[in-house]
Amino acid sequence: MKKQVLSLFIVLLASSLFTACTSNESKPSTSSAPSTATNSNAGTANSTAQTNTSAAVSTKVTDLGTGVIQASDPSKLPDSAKQRNDTFIAGLTEPSGAFTPHFHQSGYDGNVASVLFAPLVTVDEKGKIVPYLAEKWEISKDQLTYTFHLNKDLKFSDGSPLTAEDVAFTLTILHDKNYDGGTDIFSSHIKGGLAYKEGKASSVAGIKVIDPQTIQIETDQVNATALLTLGGQVLSKAYYGKDYKFGSLEYIRELHAKPVGAGPYKLDKHLPGQELRFTANEHFFKGKPKIERFIYKTTEGDAFQFIETGEQDYAAFSATQDNLDKLQKLGFLNLKLNTSSAYGYISINHKKPYFKDKKLRQALIYGLDRKTIVEGVSQGSAQVANIPTSPTSWSYTEEGINPYHYDPEKAKTLLDEAGWKEGSDGVREKDGQKLVIRYLSSKSKGSDALIAIAKENYTAIGIQFEPEQFADFNALLAKVDGGDYDLASFSTPMLLDPHSGVSGFTTEEAKGYSNPKVDQLIKEGISTLDIEKRKEVYKKLYQELNEDPPYIFYSYSKLLYSYNSRIKGLDPNPYRGIATSLPLTSIE
Amino acid sequence: MSTYVIRRIIYMLLTLLGASMLIFFLYALTPGDYVDNNMNMTEQRKAELREIYGLNKPLVERYTAWLGNVLEGDFGYSLQHQKPIMTLFNHYIWNSFLLAAVSTFLTWFIAVVAGVLCAYKSQSIFDKSVTIFIFAAMSIPSFFIGLFFIKLFAVDAGILPPGGMITTGSNAEGWDYVLEVAEHMVLPVLIVTLLGTGSLTRYFRSHMLEAMKQDYVRTARAKGLKERVVLYRHALRNAMLPAITLIGFELPTLFGGSIVIEKIFNWPGIGQLYMQSFTMRDYPLLMGFTMLLAILTVIGTFISDLLYRLADPRVRL
Repeated sequence: MKKQVLSLFIVLLASSLFTACTSNESKPSTSSAPSTATNSNAGTANSTAQTNTSAAVSTKVTDLGTGVIQASDPSKLPDSAKQRNDTFIAGLTEPSGAFTPHFHQSGYDGNVASVLFAPLVTVDEKGKIVPYLAEKWEISKDQLTYTFHLNKDLKFSDGSPLTAEDVAFTLTILHDKNYDGGTDIFSSHIKGGLAYKEGKASSVAGIKVIDPQTIQIETDQVNATALLTLGGQVLSKAYYGKDYKFGSLEYIRELHAKPVGAGPYKLDKHLPGQELRFTANEHFFKGKPKIERFIYKTTEGDAFQFIETGEQDYAAFSATQDNLDKLQKLGFLNLKLNTSSAYGYISINHKKPYFKDKKLRQALIYGLDRKTIVEGVSQGSAQVANIPTSPTSWSYTEEGINPYHYDPEKAKTLLDEAGWKEGSDGVREKDGQKLVIRYLSSKSKGSDALIAIAKENYTAIGIQFEPEQFADFNALLAKVDGGDYDLASFSTPMLLDPHSGVSGFTTEEAKGYSNPKVDQLIKEGISTLDIEKRKEVYKKLYQELNEDPPYIFYSYSKLLYSYNSRIKGLDPNPYRGIATSLPLTSIE
Repeated sequence: MSTYVIRRIIYMLLTLLGASMLIFFLYALTPGDYVDNNMNMTEQRKAELREIYGLNKPLVERYTAWLGNVLEGDFGYSLQHQKPIMTLFNHYIWNSFLLAAVSTFLTWFIAVVAGVLCAYKSQSIFDKSVTIFIFAAMSIPSFFIGLFFIKLFAVDAGILPPGGMITTGSNAEGWDYVLEVAEHMVLPVLIVTLLGTGSLTRYFRSHMLEAMKQDYVRTARAKGLKERVVLYRHALRNAMLPAITLIGFELPTLFGGSIVIEKIFNWPGIGQLYMQSFTMRDYPLLMGFTMLLAILTVIGTFISDLLYRLADPRVRL
């Protein structure tokens, strides 16, 4: 019974994680929630070999690769699922009901939109950009002009054609001064974008429709993340733009519940708090999906009971040993381990003068037994992070990266070198100031564990550790904004491009942290679109951030995607969830 | 009587005005606002959004603007859901009402019967075993017993659905639909009733014991009335009087939803919506919902005052 309660919490955590997909504006959860680590051979786990081994069923989370563990006994499938031969049911945390991409306020609405709408480009399981509605694109030599060539005969779900005009409209409306959604179009610096926002121009000068299949976008500044932003989901001009006037976007709210897109499915019915029903879109450009009906069953709580009874086909759980055992025991589930593209971190308050000395920051990392905390709590559903990018990303590297293994002696030496000498009461001090570290986090099992161990760790090296936990996320943020803290635990949202993981470390954004080399490398990282060149830049950047840490990098969390074995061809990925492979699936 | 009603209504309006002010300022003063939810936004973008939503205006101005709209019947749009507040309520509130109405009815019915019997057979084996049972039921946390029952009845035995209001993807209509919803209601109603009956039973038992010691009960017995008549007509009626106050308080709970039960059973009620909107600081939704509860509370107490008069001629209004 204790186990039952425990699994409820784990599943709650997992579902909150899982659903944060696709939208980069989804609310970040604090890192301590999904904390935990596998051991150091995580390196092998991220070697990305896409092996579909069915034979070797491993029973330890820490030994799982990225391959699919096939169901051991599909015959155990409950009858309710067997009879459902034209419907695929996946779980999702309750969305808000605004299903227009770029306009929704909750990440879960983004998941719904990803089924209904299609982007020009998308990313594969390594985070590399691949074509979708656009069959190809060209980037000019100066890397400022993008030309997208759309596939022929694209159609929206209402049968109307999708052309470059629709792309132009989508990009334009995002520049409106009253646009309040999460797509930051200004990060791609389209020529004339600001003039349009300020009402000085009637259109965005940099957007040119060449012909119905071709659109050219001119930008002012090279930005490696622009391709994804520009190649986002397309809105129909005829449908979403017919009442559009500059500065008034209220009308679009009426259309949120009746979406028209070019995605694999169209919305049939939304039962708030219960489910979203979709039917296959016969106009989908890759052909009508084989599974006629798709349902997002929306749950606020535990999804395990629905997976267990066969009422739901797909769910993601935190990759703990407990969950793995429970899911494997059911026998009819295929399982796939995936590392999230986000990372958890403990931010350092660089406004405090004593953090100027990087030795103190390094000592805080050496002096904290991250591995024990992360592994102890998560039973394998997370691993220790040392750089601000996920092992799933193409930018990940371990070359020249100091893993900062727990080393209290080293921490003590660093503190001595930094001038913090042990006082009479065992707490170190410098110039009459005691070394007191105030730590903030939200209230969770993970942060409880961190606090318990950190207190012990830090006391042992002469640091007085004063934790404070918050039940409410906004209250935590307000406290952090107030500036009266030293460390605070957070987690990033999903990171589609490695730049999103480091953009906060520039001198302008970092609130006190400043490293000219880092500034330079961050700039270089987005100043080229060549992925090989970017890899080199990010390697150098991560090495620098590793040496002069702006945060204590903490953990990468892992999820177990579990799906009913009668669903064939599903390949959930950490960036897009099930959206990309959904149209290719079939039911046995 | 009619001057009383008019006076009460004026008081009610003033109470609501006070409540709305209090609620508005409390929410506005809770740290963090809707825009703060997104940590990865630049300060400049945050300022722009505050401008669009009007969150940068002085509190008093925001309050009067909100009040003005409400007086015109416009509760505004939810920031997060991008839908009118009333539409959202309409989507969720009746589901909560259905669950609450059925379980409240059962709770009261069982509590009255058990309370009377316990009082009549006070200190008997029956009384003691009921007392033990209800205390046991009261002290189990709802999330625990909820999950336990799901495991027992839905997963292992497979006789009841594990949650939700309908079977996923079901197209049932008419009677089939009613039956399906009823089937899904069994577990949540059972648990709400189980947990709620305890305190009410104790309440009725003690009032009943009190009433049975009164002179008028002795008189009724002395007149030679049947025990059942004495019990139900003379004792119970008087014992029920204080319960009228409770009925007034039940009104907001009927519509307020239950956060824990709705979460465990995945019931599409308003409790979940409220919880979500609080974490998101979705002010229009928060204000709308809390005001709705305030209105229902005020009306509830008003109704119970009127009922008092009907039930007890000694009360003069």
